[in-house]
Amino acid sequence: MKKVIPHLLILFLYPCFIFPQSSAESLVQEAADTVQVFFKDKTAVRVAVVQFENYSELTDLAMQKIYQLLAARLENNQGIQASDLLLNFVNGRGEFNLSKVNELDYLIYLKLIQNKSKTGLGMAIFSRWQDKLVSIKYTEKNISQSEMELLNVNNFAFSEMGFSKLADFESKNNLLDVQSVCGPDGITRYFFYYPDEIIIYLARGDRLEKQSSFILTWTRPFYPVLHFQGKLLLFTFNQELVMTVGGNFSPYAQVLIFRDNQWLPTAKIGFIPFKQLMFNQNLYLVGAIYDEGKNYFKDKIFFMPFTDPAVHSGIVEKKIFPAYDMDFSIQDGQLQGIHVIDRNYFYHLLTADFSEETPEQVQKGASLSASNGQWLAVSDYSRQTDQIFFYDIKAGGQRPAYTGRVAGEIEFISAGIWQKINGFWVCSRLTQDGYGRSIVQFWGKRHD
Amino acid sequence: MIKRKLPAQPVWIRTLENKLSAQKMKTIYFKVLTLPLACLLVFAIKPDYGGQISIKLNEPTSFTLNTANYSNLILYSLIYENFFYLKKNGAMFTHIFKDYHVDAGSKTLILTVKDNLSFSNGKPLTAKNIQLSLRMFLASNLFAASQLNKLIKNIRVAANQVLIELLADNPDIIAMMTVPELVVLAENEQSFSGPFYPDQWEKNKLLTLKANPFYAGGRTYLDAVKITFTDESIPDVFLSSPKAFKTNFQEFDSGIYQNVYLCFLQGDVGQNTKIALYTLLKKFNETTGSKYSELHTLTSDEESPVSIQIKTISRQRTASILKSSDIKLYILASLSYLEKDLTAFLKNSNLKIETLFIDDSQMMNFLNSTAVKYVLIDKIFQIKVPVEEKISRILKESSFNQFNVKYLRMLGELNEVKYSNSQELLMEQVARISEAIINDGFIFPLFQKKYSLYVRNACQAMEVDYYGRPLFQKAHIGHD
Repeated sequence: MKKVIPHLLILFLYPCFIFPQSSAESLVQEAADTVQVFFKDKTAVRVAVVQFENYSELTDLAMQKIYQLLAARLENNQGIQASDLLLNFVNGRGEFNLSKVNELDYLIYLKLIQNKSKTGLGMAIFSRWQDKLVSIKYTEKNISQSEMELLNVNNFAFSEMGFSKLADFESKNNLLDVQSVCGPDGITRYFFYYPDEIIIYLARGDRLEKQSSFILTWTRPFYPVLHFQGKLLLFTFNQELVMTVGGNFSPYAQVLIFRDNQWLPTAKIGFIPFKQLMFNQNLYLVGAIYDEGKNYFKDKIFFMPFTDPAVHSGIVEKKIFPAYDMDFSIQDGQLQGIHVIDRNYFYHLLTADFSEETPEQVQKGASLSASNGQWLAVSDYSRQTDQIFFYDIKAGGQRPAYTGRVAGEIEFISAGIWQKINGFWVCSRLTQDGYGRSIVQFWGKRHD
Repeated sequence: MIKRKLPAQPVWIRTLENKLSAQKMKTIYFKVLTLPLACLLVFAIKPDYGGQISIKLNEPTSFTLNTANYSNLILYSLIYENFFYLKKNGAMFTHIFKDYHVDAGSKTLILTVKDNLSFSNGKPLTAKNIQLSLRMFLASNLFAASQLNKLIKNIRVAANQVLIELLADNPDIIAMMTVPELVVLAENEQSFSGPFYPDQWEKNKLLTLKANPFYAGGRTYLDAVKITFTDESIPDVFLSSPKAFKTNFQEFDSGIYQNVYLCFLQGDVGQNTKIALYTLLKKFNETTGSKYSELHTLTSDEESPVSIQIKTISRQRTASILKSSDIKLYILASLSYLEKDLTAFLKNSNLKIETLFIDDSQMMNFLNSTAVKYVLIDKIFQIKVPVEEKISRILKESSFNQFNVKYLRMLGELNEVKYSNSQELLMEQVARISEAIINDGFIFPLFQKKYSLYVRNACQAMEVDYYGRPLFQKAHIGHD
């Protein structure tokens, strides 16, 4: 451990030193280059790593990083359709979702070995159709002790190929949520939700330009708060744009509809909609409600059939537990899972039938968001500086994939789109200058 | 490296099935991945709502605003919201108004009330309530109120704005409105504007305040504040002498002191009786271990330009003067902490002196009764307040029915020299007023009590304002 501490210090003090061009990366790069060369003349071949064994001195953590580096490079290879089937690493072996193997054309096998002082990576490409190995590549590098320690202690791989910060804006205080919608004119509008107004922006290159704004009017009972929180939802219904807004300062959410170039309040509903989803061919709004004036959600989730913007009946409640944040991952319009951070900062995953997967025993941050059943972003259990963890939830569970540092403390994460790239809006608060500023960033996978 | 053809799929699947379940492995995996980081970063990122803090204060007689002493100053700050707050560093803030400014052209102070505010029972808190509260404050017999009264011509309401027309432009007007007595009152006594509202009151034991869900400053982290009136257990927050506690508590300098005076409300009390009673009460302090500092001025010995030496008499002479008297000593309820010791002391002295505790609000009714001759009162002061303001307060608020034209003239002269920029003249006038008050013999300074505020370490983010009041709005129970 003593040996590790100096590297940890370097890691925290100089984050830019975390992932220099390392021997491990060049090892992976060579393997990736081999794949690229092999598939150079092919198009849309379906490929995945299905086996990864480790006989080197590296730990499962290091394997995870090496795998992630390779996966990121494969995903960015235009000639192939790379799938990420990894479920887990344990005892030097990768666990893969092999139920999808039948959908692949080529399988990749990986093996790490220790050859005297060097670490070697062996890669074999297996063609399912030819039922034989079609390519073998072995490469080795001298991975220094310090790099090995860094690989072994650093928890997640992050590569520029994965999630990275694509945009960065300063916001006035009390920003609650960001959502966007692409209009019939093909222009995407970005809605910034503050407790008393919505500001609509257009993207101009890498910056935002204010297009319009409108005031939100709330009525009693109104609960003044120390920290504003809220959710905004935008969707189209019968060719009309519908917006719902709610927060911890009001016991109801407002439903507004865009008609005659203005936003008209049409109804108030007793919970805050997060997402829309389909149940039995019917559109439902699903959400939760804050404990009035406080910073957490009550122990219920709500489902409401949405048949008319002015109607708010037929609400069904489902009991869960009080939560600092939660989100619903929706895949193909269907509920895939419910992600929850409880008031003790533990993450819970509820499946579509509301049964709970074994809760994690490690504390997380108080913000999370799920993006179209693909990715889950969670903040860190920390103060002053924060980081964001991205989990792959395509297979229904959650697998840590990438991480990135965020200055200040994350106030909310919201799945969204920035210039046609899927990702997450992350709002954080900086207090270093003594006054406090809100910074909004967009994190996405540029090459998706 | 690959020495053999890889096994067919069914073999791998069987191999996988023999291993741990995917979920279990995920759990193990995640533990391994994130445990080191979690160990390094041990703070949660959101403040926790919930819990309660206990504070030891004097028991009030009612919830009617009464800030006559330090204990009350704290209690009523919990249930009544101030128009403006003043931090120790001089910064001002408000939870009630979303905007405030002076329109120089119309010489009007415009206070714009936040939207959708409510009292603790959910009833609307509007500009009309602000107008009413301000008028009630201006009608009170307080020095700060009279100061403000001199500046205000009229108070009007327009929608969510309170328009205070001024007689002259005065840049200090907002600062003058930070006084603790200027609070938001409701017409209904069961409505409270402060961060908490009274929930349960067990007489002589405790009072529980619950968080006001509609509090204009935002729902407090604490669910409740328990105010104890007994010494059964050590509370989380309490007042005590400076440097009395060190471990487990943070000590805040409250900047507050409380003076105790002996007042004679009727002119027919003989000088000997006055001196004898004064001597007896001085003796009381000595006998009970000199818990309170000696006080030889009307304000504070450190700041007053004159010292008052009232010569005490011997124990025998005191006894002989008082033995034939039938004295009823009225004591303000804010001095109830003296009750136990004083009663025991008087009982031992074998003198016929009866003590009666009365509420500050009852005091004014007693003034017209000729039966009330001897009163023990207290006055609470902020160290930073200028001495001339303190002496003005004593003269205005503690001369009772003996206030006369001479005092009015002296106050006028004090106001004049305040604007002369001459510190010498100012202190001379303060000395002159002190001398006149003592010579007229209706008020004798007795003791002084200094306060420190002690807060248990687990109670975090507690602030103390300019007036020495702990602000509970952002206080919460720590995780340690």
